[in-house]
Amino acid sequence: MSNNTSKVIANNKDMANNTTNTSSKMPEYFESRGETAPKEQTVAEFLGDDKLRESSTDRRDFLKFLGFSVAAATLAACEAPVIKAIPYVNKPENVVPGEATWYASTYYDGSSYASILVKTREGRPIFIKGNADYGMTAGAINPQIAASVLSLYDSERLKNPLASGAESTWSAIDSKITDSLNRIKANNGKIVIFSNSIASPSTLAVIEDFKKSFSSVEGTSNVELVQYDAVSYNGIRKANEASFAMNVIPDYDFSKAETIVSVGADFLNGWLLSNVYSKQYGAGRNPKSGKMSKHIQFEANLSLTGSNADFRGMVKPSQYPAVLAAIAEGVGAGSVSGVDTSAVKNNAALKEAIKSLLASKGKSLVVCGSNDVSLQIITNKINHTLGCYTETINLNNPIQMFNSEDDKVEKLVNDIIAGKGPQGIIFYGANPVYTLPNGAALAKALAKTELTVSLASWADETASVCKFIAPDLHALESWNDYNPRKNHYAIAQPTIKPIHNTASAQESLLVWAGVAKRAGRESKVYFDYISALWEKEGFTRQTKYADFYTFWSKSVHDSVVEMPADAATSPAFVASLSGLPIKKVSGSGNFEIELYTKSSIGTGIHAANPWLQEMPDPLTKVTWDNYVTMNLKDAEAAGYNRKMDQEHGASVVTIKAGNVTFDLPVIPTPGQMQGTIGIALGYGRAENGEKIGKAAFKTKEYGGYEMNDANVRQSIGQNAYRLTSFVGGALMFDAIATLTKADGTYPIAMTQTQRTAMGRNSITKETTLDIFNKKQKEAYNPPHLVESVEGPQSIHDITLWKEHPVENVGHRWGMSIDLNSCIGCGSCLIACQSENNVPVVGKDEVRRGREMHWLRLDRYFKSENEVAIGLNKKGIEDKYLEDNIEDNPTVFFMPMMCQHCNHAPCETVCPVAATTHSNEGLNQMVYNRCIGTRYCANNCPYKVRRFNWFNYPSYKKFTEINPSQDELGRMVLNPDVVVRTRGVMEKCSFCVQKVQAGKLVAKKESRPVKDGDVTTACQEVCPTNAIVVGDWNDPSSAVRSLSSEKRSYQALEELGVKPNVWYQLKVRNADNKELEKAQVVEEAVAHFLKHNEENH
Amino acid sequence: MHKEAAIREPLILGKKTYHDITVDVCRVVEDRAPKMWYVLFTIACIIGLYGIGCILYLIGTGIGTWGLNKTIGWAWDITNFVWWVGIGHAGTLISAVLLLFKQRWRMAINRSAEAMTIFAVFMAGMFPMIHMGRIWMAYWVFPIPNQFGSLWVNFNSPLLWDVFAISTYLSVSVVFWYIGLIPDFATLRDRVKKPIAKKMYSILSFGWSGRAKHWNRFELVSLVLAGLATPLVFSVHSIVSMDFATSLVPGWHSTIFPPYFVAGAVFSGFAMVQTLLLIMRKAMRLEAYITRQHVGYMNIVIIVTGGIVAVAYATEYFMGWYSGVQYESYTYMSYGSATGRYYWAFWALILCNIAIPGLLWFKKIRTSFVWAWLISIVINIGMWFERFDIIVLCLHHDYLPSSWIMFYPSAIDIGVFLGTIGLFSVFFLLFTRYFPVLALNEVKSIMKVSGEYYKNLPDDHHDEAHGSDNNNSNNH
Repeated sequence: MSNNTSKVIANNKDMANNTTNTSSKMPEYFESRGETAPKEQTVAEFLGDDKLRESSTDRRDFLKFLGFSVAAATLAACEAPVIKAIPYVNKPENVVPGEATWYASTYYDGSSYASILVKTREGRPIFIKGNADYGMTAGAINPQIAASVLSLYDSERLKNPLASGAESTWSAIDSKITDSLNRIKANNGKIVIFSNSIASPSTLAVIEDFKKSFSSVEGTSNVELVQYDAVSYNGIRKANEASFAMNVIPDYDFSKAETIVSVGADFLNGWLLSNVYSKQYGAGRNPKSGKMSKHIQFEANLSLTGSNADFRGMVKPSQYPAVLAAIAEGVGAGSVSGVDTSAVKNNAALKEAIKSLLASKGKSLVVCGSNDVSLQIITNKINHTLGCYTETINLNNPIQMFNSEDDKVEKLVNDIIAGKGPQGIIFYGANPVYTLPNGAALAKALAKTELTVSLASWADETASVCKFIAPDLHALESWNDYNPRKNHYAIAQPTIKPIHNTASAQESLLVWAGVAKRAGRESKVYFDYISALWEKEGFTRQTKYADFYTFWSKSVHDSVVEMPADAATSPAFVASLSGLPIKKVSGSGNFEIELYTKSSIGTGIHAANPWLQEMPDPLTKVTWDNYVTMNLKDAEAAGYNRKMDQEHGASVVTIKAGNVTFDLPVIPTPGQMQGTIGIALGYGRAENGEKIGKAAFKTKEYGGYEMNDANVRQSIGQNAYRLTSFVGGALMFDAIATLTKADGTYPIAMTQTQRTAMGRNSITKETTLDIFNKKQKEAYNPPHLVESVEGPQSIHDITLWKEHPVENVGHRWGMSIDLNSCIGCGSCLIACQSENNVPVVGKDEVRRGREMHWLRLDRYFKSENEVAIGLNKKGIEDKYLEDNIEDNPTVFFMPMMCQHCNHAPCETVCPVAATTHSNEGLNQMVYNRCIGTRYCANNCPYKVRRFNWFNYPSYKKFTEINPSQDELGRMVLNPDVVVRTRGVMEKCSFCVQKVQAGKLVAKKESRPVKDGDVTTACQEVCPTNAIVVGDWNDPSSAVRSLSSEKRSYQALEELGVKPNVWYQLKVRNADNKELEKAQVVEEAVAHFLKHNEENH
Repeated sequence: MHKEAAIREPLILGKKTYHDITVDVCRVVEDRAPKMWYVLFTIACIIGLYGIGCILYLIGTGIGTWGLNKTIGWAWDITNFVWWVGIGHAGTLISAVLLLFKQRWRMAINRSAEAMTIFAVFMAGMFPMIHMGRIWMAYWVFPIPNQFGSLWVNFNSPLLWDVFAISTYLSVSVVFWYIGLIPDFATLRDRVKKPIAKKMYSILSFGWSGRAKHWNRFELVSLVLAGLATPLVFSVHSIVSMDFATSLVPGWHSTIFPPYFVAGAVFSGFAMVQTLLLIMRKAMRLEAYITRQHVGYMNIVIIVTGGIVAVAYATEYFMGWYSGVQYESYTYMSYGSATGRYYWAFWALILCNIAIPGLLWFKKIRTSFVWAWLISIVINIGMWFERFDIIVLCLHHDYLPSSWIMFYPSAIDIGVFLGTIGLFSVFFLLFTRYFPVLALNEVKSIMKVSGEYYKNLPDDHHDEAHGSDNNNSNNH
């Protein structure tokens, strides 16, 4: 080697010599202008070195070159695979690569309705939020709507039409179906369109066309439309018919109600238009003006609505009549004969309800969740007596959804089962084999029906027993229109071209009716139909727009057309309260069951949506499962496990109600009425392994499905619809059952196992409206003081560190979360998951405490030893708090995400500086730099950091559940946010990609950033506007003023980490004498205040 | 030769000559290994390989193969790390601190204690590596120039201090140990007959010739290294403790951690030294060198450091209660832990680190080989629990009750831990087989030389006793 080196040096010397040699011919530099270069020069001269020619490559050098080039070639061959990015040949209109396009549209799935905005990137819808500017939902959505974008990319969605279970072509099934229909028509047979509630005027028109095509010679149609909702509200329609001769579901307005009384109605979660009601409810819950609505709930299960109530009466479902009768009597609406009210008479909440209803006459609202027409009549009577029909209820502008006709459905299904049914059935939007109590019998009977067609997008329980499936488009692929309320029209527009070979259901009906022809994926059949109808019906009824095109464009742009609403009137009440037949579910047993829908799974439509399956239930915090909620004392008496965690599963019970028997785990839940249990609907789907989506089934610890004996994928949970029953022509959602303990335990995946706040007042703060109105801030929201030689000082003034230079310099992003308006629905959690590509990890990993949610909803129950949640009774030690949960506790929901501390404990401990503070106050996570020591997570007092334990986008354990392992599912990923690899930490970034985008918007418009430019995903979907984001350094920003509100506090303020998130403490509109005594200005605080005053 | 008071117990029992010592120590290397060695070595290899398998699976699959979760980001990994580092403390303390304090009884035990230190630090050092989510980026913890521009390590992070502390400690320990080994390797080189062994030992002995100049330099370097190593004894575990002490976690955030951790480390280190030496003493017939007196002395160190640890526990418990801070009622030393779901871990700690070692106050027990050995194992277990309690118990119930959770170890957690014990044993067994387990040159300096001794020598041994063996490279 040393030889070589010297040789090289020698060569260089030669070169140098050579240069001097050549310089005699060619000057090194020109000394004056006059000097000229020699004109001619040979190549050899130009190249200079004659000796170079003599130099040769010897053997050693040759070997060196060879070695080097082989090594270089080898290295070059190791290059990473080339991933091609193919640019557009023709750039589609409206698509700017890298920029999102938002489309206004409408969501409707038969139970949830909302005006939405769909975010698309490069032609892919990736995010859904509410449309805050247009529509009666005013931006309010629910977790299911936010998550529905993922279903679009479900790889088990049908890709082609099916005939007898085998893939077919449209022309093939069209001809067969038309033949059958014509044969039935020729035989004067009956055809039924069995659908969920149709809120679309165009669809109804299509069905009319269909009816006409198959009408008999006499002109009466052979086609009947039967509308059926899995969860029926038929009782309300019938009651209004009986009370006011109007078969309607009225328009409720919770924002105008000063007193809200709900008897078993979960109006913030699932009951009718709950997202709209959430928004209205939230509006009435801000105590700033000194007033807020008072909410009294009576129920058996602790529902999301009940957990927000100021007063909550625990009653059995069989006592709902008594509660309503007692209220009716109390408010002077007359007595209900035949109802014994003695059991509930002394209920404190009942007394409060009557008192409060009388105090706010008219400005009140009583709602009832039962489907029993009699109970709804009593409810109507109460509201009528109180004068609500001109204030909070509008009968003249009714909701045009929830059209289920229970008696008709019952008769039809019984006919089919008995073999007397129609010859042809077309299912649209309804899945009765799954949702009906006698669905299993229906499935068998359908096999004998001459023609069965399903328009479902999945080969679900009903569709898979049909002869033909003509798969409908996904809602995000199709045009539609809606008329959800009498004065309200909406349009749904497609946000992506059909992904598969599917066609809109309406087009299929038109084709079969012979009115239209198939037009493939680019089909405009139904679009033309809608626009024609709107031109005929809509355009003519308005005067604002002169030509249809403008009218239509405006309608599509807004997605909404609002007509003037008919004013509310209070018609005469014509029903009688005496002799009302109260429906009783039959059966015997030791427990009453109240069936309910979860905010995540709902009626079961989205059971295969992994985001929703992994969303913890707001109250039990259980994911991926169906279970029995039971009173703690009942559970103790029966010897069921009261506490569960990773290695301690839930006890299992066998539920026997009539001829239905199944096993479910028991989750002891505070607030459940003794003697009752709650079971969620929407689980136990695809019991025979039907292809409804990959995430609807149980998976094993190392991936793959759990199979039953017949080698069929095991569904998650049990189908509780089998417990429903038809009683007197009404579908009832309660039952009576015998519970017996089964062997063994069942693993449960909960995201929170601790139930109380352990008296930690610096985390959860609450007060009553009375205290809030009467006392000074320091009584209920005292500052954290530190003793010093100069007397007590604020925690903010004591720090060893230099202030992080974000105050009053540039931006400082901050967030305010109003715990009073937060209802705990969990929309924020799903929106965050959708926006930030948060991985789904499945039941086994959640059970191990490894869910990845960047935003979670902490839930705390009140202990008997606390005055209010988070505030111990005097002298009580923490150790007594956990096991003394109140039987009927108040609940505290607290959205928790990265607090973006200005003195962040995570930042100091990272050895490689992978988490740092931005000069805009954000705590940033640099994934590329992270080596995964997890020190930051340990040191985070809020425990919001999430570690990538595995490679979620590729590890086999997550194949079935993680959309990012699915070719199609991957399309939902937000390209602005990186998918994290294993071994790195992640956490809430305040949607930094949206922050940057917001700044850019302002920059392009050459103005400072203002409120609304920068939003986070959680804020965008919050139905109650509890979350406010903005620039704290902007003195006019909302978050700045909120941060100095009287209710404002920071969680764990005493640690001095200086978060950029402020919480607005919870105010309950209830008396709490103990709290009044506890929340007084303490001496040290008073001294501090006085001292401060003197100084300033 | 120096004079010792006659009443002092001799440090080497029996009538050993210099030559006897050489033979006693070298015999192990020169003879065929006993069957038992092969049995133990095989078992240790199997466990060690299993551990390596677990580690490879961990690195191949992800940290999720451990039982950690969103709240408990460290558990067995860092517990094992601190445990092994703690064990490593005895070696340096014995060889460096006791050297400076001229405690001559250390000479019989320092060689193996140092070996134990080095192997323990190897095991310890592995955990911070494998506990990383992305071990392939582990070199980022070093402040090396990089292509990322101004990107540098975070000097605020105690984890970074750890990197420096552990690597310094390991390198100084290795050098210190190796320097001490050189003359003894030379002795072996001169004695062994097999050519390969001879070649190996001659390489290892660095051409040591035993000249006075060599001895002079040897002594000097030893002293300098002892001086260097002494502060390290205190700094390493102080810095390890700062991983916890400088954090915000209730129970971790404690100013007494540095001295308390050092005491705990010495406590566990001496226990481990006893665990190993008392077996080695029997197996290698070193009864004359490692005596009851050694055990007694070591147990006194254990009593003292154990006392410090006990006082620290009491202080932690008291301060938690006296502060009245809610969060302190669930730290590892609190009522919440004593009665909570981790009560067994709490009481295991109290039992193993305070109650049972308390028996050592009795001289009979303190100087009994069997008792000392049993108690040393109990202390090893107790000190593992101390680290487990500090890490897991403090994390599992920290600020927000919503995140409270339990930790359950996975099979891989257990496999990796057992694997390190296996690997450690492999190293230690190799050490006992191929290395001089006593510091020959040092041990020879503490042979009791007196008139009595000479009188009792057989005639033909007078020659040897004249100290010619001191220059061990030339004789035998």
